[in-house]
Amino acid sequence: MNTQDRCAEVREWLPDHVSARLDAERDRLVREHTEVCAECRAELELIGLLRESRPKAPAELADRVARAALGRRRPVRRPWWGLSAAAVAAVALGIGIASNEGRVTTTLQDDLAAEFEEGEFWVSDDGLLAGAPTLEELTDDELAALLDELVAESPGGQG
Amino acid sequence: MSEDRRDDAEGPDARLVERARAGDEAALTALVRRHSGVAFGVALSMTRDEDIAQDVVQDAFIKAFGALDGFRGDASFKSWLLTITANEARGALRKSRRRRETALADAPELVASGDDPAEAAVTASEAERARSRLAELPEKQRLSVALRVDEGLSFREIGEIIGSSEGAARVNYFHGIRRLRELMG
Ligand SMILES: [Zn+2]
Repeated sequence: MNTQDRCAEVREWLPDHVSARLDAERDRLVREHTEVCAECRAELELIGLLRESRPKAPAELADRVARAALGRRRPVRRPWWGLSAAAVAAVALGIGIASNEGRVTTTLQDDLAAEFEEGEFWVSDDGLLAGAPTLEELTDDELAALLDELVAESPGGQG
Repeated sequence: MSEDRRDDAEGPDARLVERARAGDEAALTALVRRHSGVAFGVALSMTRDEDIAQDVVQDAFIKAFGALDGFRGDASFKSWLLTITANEARGALRKSRRRRETALADAPELVASGDDPAEAAVTASEAERARSRLAELPEKQRLSVALRVDEGLSFREIGEIIGSSEGAARVNYFHGIRRLRELMG
């Protein structure tokens, strides 16, 4: 294979070369080719610069996402008192939630409401109402804890 | 090449998905650890806002896990997740655009000062300069280059994300690279 024919495949492999994803054989071909081909060498240099400045995900992102995603699958164990006061009040009073139809009928959060789909409601980790389980799904203890919190936090409450 | 058939201590994705479907929390966590970085890369490339990108990733995982039962095992979990991520990012962009339009209607236009790109480029490192030039490319070229170089995605995966064919993703990538080389001088 002559140098020019090699260019097309080498250029295709360059991103995998700079991120060490290439198998040994192709990696060797890239190194050999970029020694003798100035065009591909220039492209390798550019891709190396891009690779060097690539954005990195914040270190805490995976934890945050895992927590939120797992929280969604264990709705009954959610700390309900972590909710914003408005959402707690709405949930506790049943305002805006027709639990069987799975629809929001108030303007709790326009953006979130637009995202709601058919199905149950859950509570997301950041305390926003993102579709919460119905109150019927809570145990008596959890309901009692929720009510305690509500009373404690409401203006003129005990706490 | 960038096809994901990882087989580390936690096993391949297909096995993790199977366990996750059965409610195995360790498997769900492993899927997040494995793919939240690349999902963030996709979200950031599209939204160009770190905070929004993080929210997008979170929402995408919640949606994906909520729909695991409907996920067909013959597709790659990663591709599927990234497509959901791209959809979430598009939704987030629409929202932030709406919000900005509302805000701009009431506020005078902000003029950036002391932020002349040409001047900044002199002091920035070559790598940073390449990165800021990348931001100047048309969207599909920018995304194709970023997803290929930063995240190691295949052109097929990139095509699914930008809503084009594998061939179009490849063309966008090479146009983008050529344009960048011109811009870098
Ligand atoms: Zn060449």
